[in-house]
Amino acid sequence: MIHYEQFTLDNGLKVLVHEDFSTPMAAVNIVYNVGSRDEDEQRTGFAHLFEHLMFGGSKHIPVYDEPVQSVGGENNAFTSPDITNYYLTLPAENVETAFWLESDRMLSLSFDPNVLEVQRKVVIEEFKQRYLNQPYGDLWLKLRPLAYTTHPYRWATIGKDIEHIERATLDDVKDFFFKYYRPNNAVLVVAGAVTVAQVRQLADKWFAPIPAGEPYVRNVPQEPTQTTPRKLETSAAVPLNSLIKTYHIPARYGTDFHEADLISDILGRGKSSRLYQALLKNIPLFNSITASVIPSLDPGLLIIKGNLNPGVTMEAADEAIENLLQDFVENGTTAEELEKVKNQAEASLAFSQVELLNRAMNLAYAANAGNAEWVNEDEEKIRVIQPDDIQRVARQVLRPENCSTLYYHALVNEQ
Amino acid sequence: MTSRHGMSFFFYPRTMILDRTIAPPFRVIDRISLPPAETLTLDNGLPLHVINIGDQPVVRLECMFEAGNWSEAKPGAAHFAIKMLTEGTAARSSAEISEAFDRVGAFTEMKNTFDQAGVVVYCLARFLPEVLPIVHELLTEATFPRKEWDDLRNITLQNHRVNWEKNAYRATALFREKLYGLEHPYGRGRTEESISAMAREDALTHYQSNIQSSRYRIILSGKVGRDEIATVNAFLGKDAARADAEEPTAASFPILPGEKTTIVERSESIQSSIRLGKRLFTRHHPDYYQMLVVSEILGGYFGSRLMKNIREEKGLTYGISSNAYAFREDGYFVVSTDVKKEFTQQTLDEIRKEIAILQTIPVPKEELRTVKNFLAGEFAGSLNTAFDVADRQKILITDGLPADFYDRYIRQIHATTAEDIMQIAQKHLVLDDMTEVVVGGK
Repeated sequence: MIHYEQFTLDNGLKVLVHEDFSTPMAAVNIVYNVGSRDEDEQRTGFAHLFEHLMFGGSKHIPVYDEPVQSVGGENNAFTSPDITNYYLTLPAENVETAFWLESDRMLSLSFDPNVLEVQRKVVIEEFKQRYLNQPYGDLWLKLRPLAYTTHPYRWATIGKDIEHIERATLDDVKDFFFKYYRPNNAVLVVAGAVTVAQVRQLADKWFAPIPAGEPYVRNVPQEPTQTTPRKLETSAAVPLNSLIKTYHIPARYGTDFHEADLISDILGRGKSSRLYQALLKNIPLFNSITASVIPSLDPGLLIIKGNLNPGVTMEAADEAIENLLQDFVENGTTAEELEKVKNQAEASLAFSQVELLNRAMNLAYAANAGNAEWVNEDEEKIRVIQPDDIQRVARQVLRPENCSTLYYHALVNEQ
Repeated sequence: MTSRHGMSFFFYPRTMILDRTIAPPFRVIDRISLPPAETLTLDNGLPLHVINIGDQPVVRLECMFEAGNWSEAKPGAAHFAIKMLTEGTAARSSAEISEAFDRVGAFTEMKNTFDQAGVVVYCLARFLPEVLPIVHELLTEATFPRKEWDDLRNITLQNHRVNWEKNAYRATALFREKLYGLEHPYGRGRTEESISAMAREDALTHYQSNIQSSRYRIILSGKVGRDEIATVNAFLGKDAARADAEEPTAASFPILPGEKTTIVERSESIQSSIRLGKRLFTRHHPDYYQMLVVSEILGGYFGSRLMKNIREEKGLTYGISSNAYAFREDGYFVVSTDVKKEFTQQTLDEIRKEIAILQTIPVPKEELRTVKNFLAGEFAGSLNTAFDVADRQKILITDGLPADFYDRYIRQIHATTAEDIMQIAQKHLVLDDMTEVVVGGK
């Protein structure tokens, strides 16, 4: 349970405060309601490039990082298909520094051409380090366009083509900023050893003078229901054959999301899960196998991923998974199995709220999605799920025609 | 424009002009105390350290043994021994053990480090009575079933093959090997050969001699009350023999450094992983705190000199860092990065250049102040949860450090002068002594 208070400034900025005086620290988290799903297909990777540019100096403050560090704070950011999230933790006494820095870069960036040139290079290196120079690093680059035909989730946050990053101009940067980085398209959460009154005062002082922007109306093409199974084969110099299957599931705050989440846990969370026990322990087809969901604000994916033992064919491994899923769909779960995954979900939730920063992020994520209170509703939603619900949703989700399968073959490695 | 909130209007009337070029005043953190651990003794004499912090109804239980790589008779035995604990006991199969933990949503970590090994369980506090009997079983009745042994060895081998393809993993392994040599627990990494050569009996022997009836420490952190402590005592305080078990005799190992430069050419790589560094010392060394400041300035934080030079100015990398790692018996300094292959030599030159600058030019006041404040704030922020505090307390216990070691930390950091920085860099970062490993190519 995360307690909080919220208010909205006249310019539309939503502010949430979570008081916690058990720590001397404060966490400040800002979500901008923009991710790679908002990108133009010809300019992918822009939301993420932009995240880098946000550290290149703002209108009145030449550098972002140093002032944070000199008051004993740490900061970072991430971009997802749905949001761009900026966060700092710092000694609570120095929390005003965070208001000063964050409000100035919300007011306006410096738009320094050198910053664009350097960050463009850094992002291209990040692309290589994370996606090209790692075994299986390009997995999501292959998988997204297979699982999604229409929705912008079909490209990865880093972008679908590095050329898009190479082509970005300063005008693109400015347009993007004034379209998305406005107070009415953001949520600010301040958590830790701060009072609501103090946050109101600081928010009024630093953020209230920032003008609102045109309201952003999201118009993202939604993914049509998948009606036939899809399959792709690819290969690279990786050590083991890898098999990946994805299934469309409801959105993070949509009906039946938690059922889908628990289904993935039943199938492939930990060593007592069905896939692990059946296909790694009993019949050693796989060397590793897991199932999980990729939560997202538009409908997301359930993903089953396994590395095959040498000598096992993709077809045999695939068939074994399909058979297991069919059995699960037909026979459903048991009360004990459901109790197990509910306990696991409860524990995950409790542990995810141990860190102050996580509490701030979770609040911001829910508030940005539509309602801060959703952050406290997951526990109850999970608690009431019955075996019948699991089977009903399993029937919908684990249909063969809802599935995209990737065979990732290991080329014989020259080393 | 008026605010909807009268209170704030009262404090900051809109007529006041806001000068955004001026940073708000701030306070420097000059004192932080590590929250203490309460140390209790179980009925059988085993020490229990309790860190009770936090509102979430969760706990972490950690049983720490003198059973890490330092204690192993055969290279790799420690890793396999600790991993086999969850693979079968006299009463339960591997699947039943997983099921028993999973049933209550507990997650486990069978942890092996250079110096120690441990069983770690995270769970909702209310499930401790379910979790503890299983933990006790793992510690005392593990059976190392043959099938699970084969599976574990196979999985370890496959994972190793995947990791070995990662330049960063291979570079770190080779770097440690070149620093310490293959005879030393800190130098001998996992290899295909060492995994294949491992016999079930080697791991079992390690378990029997270092875990099964050995003395160990328990660290319980999270929301811990009297009930939780009583539960731990009820299940782990009962086998009497342990408290009297002899501490294993301290082993020592020769350090046989390898060549100073190593390059592994991998034509398929786009980037090179670079490791450049040298041996240092443990946390007991008088220069330890000051060395942390030196390493921080060079590459310890986002605004460090290496990040500015290599990432922000030249855009050669996504990240570059330097670290001064300390273990119980030794420590090392290392600069790590992944760069575009064709810039490998340039990056190596720049790293050496930055170290040379630290040795010869006093750090500007402003920069030194930033680094000190950052280190102090980072330290304060790293004590946010019961688990963070437990990790620090564990280091004090493991390394045999004085209780005020971390309380002195911030004082010592603030006391470091620009002159100290130069001296420490000259003394401990001698460029000719650096070991350099490149995996990828130049």
